[in-house]
Formats: sequence, structure tokens, C-alpha cells
Amino acid sequence: MYGHQGKILHVDLSKNKIWTQDLPEEWRKLYVGSRGINARILWDYCKDPEITWDDPRNILVYAPGAVTGTTAPASGRTSVTTVGCTTGLYLKSNTGGHWGAELKFAGYDHLVVHGVADKPSYIFIEDDQVEILDAKDLWGKDMIQTDALLKKWHGEDSRGLYIGPAGENLVRGASIQCSLYHAAGRGGGAAVMAKKNLKAISVKGSKPVRVKDAKRFAKIAKEMRDLLKADSGAVSLHQFGSSGSIAAVNELHAFPGRNWQTGYTENVYPISGQCLVEKGYLKRRVACFACTIGCHRYSTIDSGPNAGIASGGPEYETFGALGNGPGVIDTEGVIMANEFCNRLGMDTITAGGVAQWAIESYERGVLTKDDTDGLELGWGKIPELLKTIEAMALRKGKLGNLLADGLKIATKKVGQDSYKWAIINAKGLEQSNVETRSAKAYALAFAVNPRGNDHLMTETFAEFGASPEAVALVEKVTGDKKWAAPHFTEHRAEIVRWHEDCYEITEALGFCVFTSTAAYGVNPDNMARLYDAATGISMTEDEMMFTGRRVVTLEKAFNITRGATREHDNLPWRLMNEGAASGPLKGAMNSQEELDGMLDLYYAQHEWDLKTSWPYRNTYEKLGLKDVADYLDKIDRLP
Amino acid sequence: MAKMLLVDMDKCTGCKQCSLACSLTKEGLFDPNRGRIKILKKEVIALGIPLLCEQCDTYPCVDACPEGALTRDETTGIITVNAETCTECGTCVDVCTYHGIRLHPETGKAMICDLCGGDPYCVQHCVPGALEWVDKTDDTVNKKRKLRSARMAVYRKLKKEAA
Repeated sequence: MYGHQGKILHVDLSKNKIWTQDLPEEWRKLYVGSRGINARILWDYCKDPEITWDDPRNILVYAPGAVTGTTAPASGRTSVTTVGCTTGLYLKSNTGGHWGAELKFAGYDHLVVHGVADKPSYIFIEDDQVEILDAKDLWGKDMIQTDALLKKWHGEDSRGLYIGPAGENLVRGASIQCSLYHAAGRGGGAAVMAKKNLKAISVKGSKPVRVKDAKRFAKIAKEMRDLLKADSGAVSLHQFGSSGSIAAVNELHAFPGRNWQTGYTENVYPISGQCLVEKGYLKRRVACFACTIGCHRYSTIDSGPNAGIASGGPEYETFGALGNGPGVIDTEGVIMANEFCNRLGMDTITAGGVAQWAIESYERGVLTKDDTDGLELGWGKIPELLKTIEAMALRKGKLGNLLADGLKIATKKVGQDSYKWAIINAKGLEQSNVETRSAKAYALAFAVNPRGNDHLMTETFAEFGASPEAVALVEKVTGDKKWAAPHFTEHRAEIVRWHEDCYEITEALGFCVFTSTAAYGVNPDNMARLYDAATGISMTEDEMMFTGRRVVTLEKAFNITRGATREHDNLPWRLMNEGAASGPLKGAMNSQEELDGMLDLYYAQHEWDLKTSWPYRNTYEKLGLKDVADYLDKIDRLP
Repeated sequence: MAKMLLVDMDKCTGCKQCSLACSLTKEGLFDPNRGRIKILKKEVIALGIPLLCEQCDTYPCVDACPEGALTRDETTGIITVNAETCTECGTCVDVCTYHGIRLHPETGKAMICDLCGGDPYCVQHCVPGALEWVDKTDDTVNKKRKLRSARMAVYRKLKKEAA
């Protein structure tokens, strides 16, 4: 087969059974790959709402993209899909690194893990040889130790994906990591793995990837590569990493600090990508498989009391969540917290979000010294932050057990007004570090995101109009370039919708979303042409985007089976009720009224019911999802 | 002016575009194991070491081949493998000073970079600039040697640690 390898690998841990399935030709046309086909597989196996995240019938689907394994630039990413533990809803989390490409070279487009092993286990895949092996020597080990053991047993050229101690402890904010420092971090997929007694998946592959028209494919890949090479966003990502943008975001008063109480920090330099480079912390610029940008960082502390600390990152989000958020304006403080999270297998966004809430709760007297096991929490206190992370990851003491379940559960336990400063929306995921009060397309996108309020199901960076390409895109989508400014509430629905579809196909093909929504080298037009050259499946740009729409709708439908309605599409209380602290948009909020206005337009445009937010039968049928509509009809979930 | 390939490990991000490009141009498919250039990865320190034929002055591979299957172009230094006479014994792999030779995963024949006859396809894929096709001058030759020594020192250190 061309583009895809043509095989889905199934591993049932309960029955100790391993089998392969041919990749259905129809799915290649309807869902393209990775995130898209994953969504279909999850629907087919887990649509029954009785299947909760910890039910043995829940599955985990891992998939590189339709063009992963090739020279298409930055096409080596992998989607992991499951019923998430943080929200109990649909979860797709996407990771970089080199593991997914290795799975593809082993001959598989998707790996589906079913059931629960009767003891700690890991899966080893070497082409056609697939085994479920005993993980007793891996259980309890951190990322560094786990990766080292897997490489000792299966070779330095094997690639590992794993969970750490936080995952084993069923911590909601635990991350699935691969190639050590890359993570499918959000939403608690690691806890799903742990519930299945699955510690790791080690892969070695030797099967080439073939494309239908290699000459044409190489030409389009070159076109993408050249566009990225010339793109200022991509150049900056290589030079300074994702955290290279922090100074600019801060100047917009949009860099959340102290649990979203501030948007501007006086001296933000110590927690920026520029500082990592200029102060010698950056040791290497690192790329995921086949990525020509190389935005990942490898940073070390070489001297002083913290010498010897080394890890991947920190990223923008980590400098936000574990730096500006808890008030740690300290390079080494964030490097240490980041290293600790990587080693224990924690999502830095959730770890930081939860820690900030705990600090504010302590400051307000809602948490006492008794609740924190004697820790005196406060802004900018590094040792206390590290101890909080440790307590959370290892479920240590009162504090650890409270925080390990994430803010959705912790706010219920603590009660009082603590939900007001928990930066989660009704779905329950800790928000990523974006100031949605002054960026309205982001606000809308975060509210409707099926996995909770973050930027990783769609990203609407274009609304800032920060480059000519971004302005051109907004003009293309809305009809007028004047809408390329983030404070407008008009036309946000169109901007979000376009980005939803584009983001989906970007991930379905295996591309990094930075290439299409932060930089502008990969777009629906060249993706459609590339997919044709790779597979021989010919689609126009619009047809390609339509597959994205289909998948986004299927993901929405999955949440509807779990009872999600319009009320779940909201934003954190603080952002809806307290104004931004400073800057040009001082006082701006994501009020219910403002959000409702955008939601009405968004649902109407999607042909979804305004009251429930549910798609109509006709909407599903137009997308070729009649079976989905039939099921929802049966369980009374059509408007 | 004569050209040569400059390899700067410090700029290598470990993405493997070069190996993929090589397998594409040589065999019309994508497989990093079929690249005449290999990126040896040490993931825990996020390191990638590019390894390939250096067109060196001592060419122990040619002398060591028991079948005389390797020949060297005097002008370019490029080594050619005679697939008819190569017996897949791997002697050249073992003697290569720069660990630049591998056996083909399917045919078992030695794979040696031939610089694509003077326009290496991998170079245009290396956006970070770890691979550069430069004019051969005293300066660049010196630079190449220096970079290579540094690269080999890291390679030896890794192998020593592994052993």
C-alpha cells in the first residue's frame, strides 16, 4: 500500500491475543489517517456511554500519520486516542518524538490496545513479531530508567513510549511520554494505560514506507520545506523554541501569571527561549522525526547548586504553567520543575495549573497548613513548588491525594468558592497558558474544544495577524483582513471552524500543527496534493477540509454520548467574571453574554442545534455519518 | 572548484531527513535503514551523530575487502561498491575509521555514500545546516577535519559508555 502501511495492529491484554486487520480503503478516503481514523476506531469500540475511562472495554489507539515516515517536513507526529480520565470525554493527545515513525516502519498505521493485563506488562513490537511482556522490572521506574531498560533489552535503536510513576498512580495530570521528553501529555491518557497495567510500548521497525508518485511527492514536500524555511515563525521556533514568543505575548499583556491574575510580568526574560540560548542553558536544538524546524530544546544546568539537571524543554507552556503561573521568574527553577515533571511523567500544563490553584487557595486560607502537610505555599517559592509536584505525582500525603485527581475533583472536595480560581471549564481540563479574555477566537475555540479548554485541538493564532500570511488567511476565511485582530468577537466562528478542519487534517497526515497554524508552510491545498501523490487518493482542498469536518463532528458526537451539551462549552469562572488586570484590554472578560453570542454563530454555522449544541441528523448525514446519527437517535441524543 | 560535504554535528537536530532523502533518491522509497548516511541517536541526551563515508585519504575499506569489491576514484575519493563481487561479509563496515558504512537491510551489500555524483540530495533536506556542500579550500578542509574529530570523539565516548 502507498502512504499508509495498510495494517492495524490489535493487542488484547485481557485475552493475551494479538491480531492484525487490513486498513479499510474507505477509511483512507473518509478519515485519512491518525487522528481521523483513531476517532472512527474509538467510536466503533467505545461509543456506549457505559464505557468509562477506567472500564476494561476502553481502548487506547496510537497512530502515526498518513505520510509519517517520509520526507514531508515535520510529518512524524502521533495521535493517541481514548476515553480520557481527566474529563471522562473524548481524548486525543498528540506527541512528537520518534516512536510513531518507528511504529509505521514496523508496518502499522494504528495500534489498538484492548482490555486489562493481569499484571504490569509492556508490549514489544519488532515488525511482525509482537509480544506482551512482563513489566515487573519497569513498574515504579521513572522515564529515564524505563527508557534505559527498554533500550538495554531491545537495543539502542528501539523507540519507547511509556508512563512514569505519576501515571502508575493514576494521577489525572500524568502524561504518556515517548523518546523521553516528548509527551501526549494532556487529558490523562497515562492513567488509562496504568489502568490497563500497560507500562510501555517498545518498537523496532524495518519496513519501508512507499508513496505512489515519488517524484511528485518529493516536489510537494520540497515546496512545503521551502515555505517553512522562509517563514519567520518557523525560523524563530528553531532559534528560540516555542518559548521564543514569551516576550511578545507578555507585551500584549496576555501571558498569564499568578493563576491568571496578571497578564504582564515586569522582567520576563529569565523565563524565555532567548534566555535559554543566551545564558548557555540550551545544549541542543532538537527535532521530532523528519522535522525540518527543530523547535524542541535540550537544556542543562552546568554549574552552581543545581548543576547536573538536564532534560528536554522547557516549552512555552512550561515556562507559563511552572514559571509565570506560580510566580517562578527563575530560569533554573523552571528547568528543575520541568525536569522533575518529565522524569515522573507529569503534564507540565496540568501540574502547573493545579499547583497555582493550590497556592492561591493557601493564600486565601481555603487550604491550611494541615491540608498541605506543613508546606507553606506561595508565589515564587521553588522548593515548595517542587514538593507540590512530587506530592501530586506520587500521591503523597493529604496534599498529594487532593491534587492528584486534578482540579475538577479537588474543587469539589475543597468546596467554598475554590472553583472560582480553578482555571478549568465545565469539561474539567486545566487550561493551557493562553489569555482568552483578550483573544476571542481562542476563547471560542477553547470553549468548544471536545477535550477541554486548551489550544491543542485547534489553534487560532492567525487572529493576531502577526504576519502577512496570518492576515491573508484571516482575509481568506472572513472576507476582510480587518478582522485579523484578536479583540473582535465578529467572525470568530468562521476563524475557529477553518482552523478546526485544518488542524484535524494536519494531524491526520502526521504533520505538526505548528506547520499549518503557527507557521504557514503546510496548508489544505498542498496537503491535498501531497496526499494524492502519496496514496493516489485524489481530493481537492475543500474535499480534504471536509474530511476534517467529518472527524471534528464525530469527536463532538462522542462527547454527546457522554451527555455533553452546550453547558460544557464554557470557560473558567475567573475568565468569565474577572477582567484582565492590565494592558490595552484591561477589564476584558469572556462574559457569558459575549461567549453566547459567539457560540450561537458557531453552532449555526456548523448546523448544530443552538439549545443543546448537538448536530442535527441531517448534519451527520451530509458528512456520511448516518450510522452515528442512528446511534444517537437510539440513545435519544439528537436535537 | 571542487566541492565537499561539511558535516557539523552541533547543528544536527536528529530529524533523519537526510537518511530518508537518501533512501528516496537511491531506492525510490523511505527507509532510514537504507540511507547511506545514518543518524546515530542517543535519545537521553537528545543527540544525533551523522555518520557517512568521508572520502578519507586512508580508505582502509578498499584494502580490507577480501574480494576487492571496492574501488576508489582518485580525484573525488568516492568509493564504489561492486554488487556482483561483494559477499556481504561486513569487513569494510568494521574497518571504516568513521563508521560510515552499513550493509543493506535487504541485499546485505555494502552501502557507501557516493555524494550523489556531485550534488548530494541529503544536503537540500538539511534545513538546520548540519550538512553543507561547500567549496573545497584549505579552510574548509581544516574545518571538516576539526568537526569530524569532535564528532568521532563523541562517538567513541558513547560506545565506551555503552560497553
